[in-house]
Amino acid sequence: MSERRPYRRPMPSNWWWAPGPYRAYTIRELTGVAIVIYGAVLLAGLISLASGPSSYAGFLAFLKSPFSLLLHLVLLAAVVYHVKTWFETLPKTQPKIIVDGKPVPAEQITKYATMVAAGCSLALILLVMGVAR
Amino acid sequence: MSQAVQIKRVPEARSKSPLFWLPFGAGGMLFALFGPGLILITGLMAPTGIGIPESFMSYAHARAFAENPLGKLILLAVIALAFWHGAERIFLTLKDMKAGTIPPLKMGTYGVAAAATVLTLIVLLVI
Repeated sequence: MSERRPYRRPMPSNWWWAPGPYRAYTIRELTGVAIVIYGAVLLAGLISLASGPSSYAGFLAFLKSPFSLLLHLVLLAAVVYHVKTWFETLPKTQPKIIVDGKPVPAEQITKYATMVAAGCSLALILLVMGVAR
Repeated sequence: MSQAVQIKRVPEARSKSPLFWLPFGAGGMLFALFGPGLILITGLMAPTGIGIPESFMSYAHARAFAENPLGKLILLAVIALAFWHGAERIFLTLKDMKAGTIPPLKMGTYGVAAAATVLTLIVLLVI
């Protein structure tokens, strides 16, 4: 019989909501749920579109409902948090960028990438506003 | 006297994880760049008519978009990558939470993403 009694660090089962980095991690991961919900809304719209005008009218009515507008506000907040955390992670997952022999600091990569992302979303909205007249 | 040591090379079992990182990363980048714009357009601006006329998402317009090859590609990319991105995040988090054994967790995340992708493809092909 083994006399080994290794120490096992206790891990409370609700660690994922402990204040601090664990909770920040859980909230970041929950943005994945928000993105799936948005994908599911679009898929439902696509299916109703394929089923004909009356079923698509039901989808449009849903989009206009207070529930849907509130839902999309929550989804918007979640995806904005996703943008923030995604580009905070970016410098850690890509090779260093060397400019003039010095690596570009992580904060600068995050800053510029977030600005590019804001520009992309804004350009998309302006494009749609220009096309849909 | 020296004994010849035979080294048996066991082929390394390759992880399948990288296969799932690609759509996770692609979806994450797509929604990081265009997510706020997409949600604002289809979920808030067009339904209320603020900035974008309500006719933007009318049956005729949506139908024309979904029948256009480029429109189909955009719809497939946005819907499928949203599901695959979320599946990876939800799977790893539930695994960290020890919410269950691996096979049902995979079915509930990657399985759903695969089903949603196939469903989207079928609808886009018949529309």
